Amino acid sequence: MVRLITHNLLACHVKGCTSNNFPLQFKDVQIELREAEFNPDFLRNFMPRIEWKALVDAARQLGDTSLPEEQPEMVDDEFLQKLHHVLLEVHVEEGAMVCPNCNHSYPISNGIPNMLLAEHEIG
Amino acid sequence: MPSKAVTATSVSDNPQEYEAEHVHAVYDEIAPHFSSTRYKPWPIIAQFLSSIPPGWVGLDSGTGNGKYLPLPVERPGSMWTVGLDRSRNLLDIARTAGGVHREVVWGDVLGRPWRDGAFDYAISIATIHHLATHARRKAAVQRLVQCLSHDHGRALIYVWAIEQDELSKRSIPLQAHAEQATQLSANGSGQDVFVPWVLSTQSKPSQKSNPAPAEDQRASNEIASRTVQNAEEAAPKVYNRYYHMFAKGELSELVIEAARESGLHVGSRPTNVGPNKEVPRRGIEIVQDGWERSNYYVELRCWRI
Repeated sequence: MVRLITHNLLACHVKGCTSNNFPLQFKDVQIELREAEFNPDFLRNFMPRIEWKALVDAARQLGDTSLPEEQPEMVDDEFLQKLHHVLLEVHVEEGAMVCPNCNHSYPISNGIPNMLLAEHEIG
Repeated sequence: MPSKAVTATSVSDNPQEYEAEHVHAVYDEIAPHFSSTRYKPWPIIAQFLSSIPPGWVGLDSGTGNGKYLPLPVERPGSMWTVGLDRSRNLLDIARTAGGVHREVVWGDVLGRPWRDGAFDYAISIATIHHLATHARRKAAVQRLVQCLSHDHGRALIYVWAIEQDELSKRSIPLQAHAEQATQLSANGSGQDVFVPWVLSTQSKPSQKSNPAPAEDQRASNEIASRTVQNAEEAAPKVYNRYYHMFAKGELSELVIEAARESGLHVGSRPTNVGPNKEVPRRGIEIVQDGWERSNYYVELRCWRI
């Protein structure tokens, strides 16, 4: 699956591609929305771990503009519901993720991203 | 009758191709059947995952059929484990492990497709022993540590041991040579072997046929259970999977070497840290190091000052 929770962790690992290699840019994506169990305890504790700008930008690429530019200091349930939806309910099923630095393209097929590189390509 | 014995082997000059043939291709072939025999988590791994705080995100490097992705069972969804594996066919199973959509990534344990320090925890269960040279096993440990939080990252690594428990000794001819096993273990370098997986096209995988305790251990149970099945089925196909069986002390040495070569101090976090004191700034501490049910394991924690 590529949901935005995973996209927020992935980076390009092509040899020599060590700066501006995160976040990967979505390309030609097909999306499915699937409900997931809401867990506010997880979200509150996970929030400090998120690369916020990357998440907001990625959500916009997928057509979701519900998140604010800055991570809010006061966190209420309404906000957590939005965050939950963006992180865990938007599934990228097909398409690709492209490195903003070296343009390497990582295909997504049947919901599974292909992050394999030939060994000589790995940094 | 195909041989079901574990046999010694030696790795060819090209370990990468060797793994492609004797590990990756095999798992893709046997994925559904393999998965049907891997359903019960091991206690130490379940315990480790239960000790992870809510909100943490982790990596299961070599997730196979994803059986650890739903854990901990007592508080589902309180943390997220992302599964990575080399076998696309196993990932198709892992993506809905436990009846819930999981996050899985097709990749190699020698790659590092993560931003630095992306994960709070990582597990590597029965995976590193499929890499065909010491250097590659060491690199896999380094990749695992690199993707962890420098401040608080935690990891658990499990590999197959030369020292097998009683149940395995009955089914693995190699272990009949107990003396040989002890010698191999004493020189600390482990043993390269083929472990056959016998797959019959008519075979209906049975979960009841592996009463364990060694339910996760990738040799004894399938050999024992297949013995019964093969008697009634014709021409089963044998897939030889490459394993490096670890010697006593080899896994902890591997972790220590991997950490030191990455510039990390090995030991507990210094407590007396004055401003002018020369102390290491980053390191790992090995918090558990043991043998259980035919496997060696090491648990480590990262620290930074």
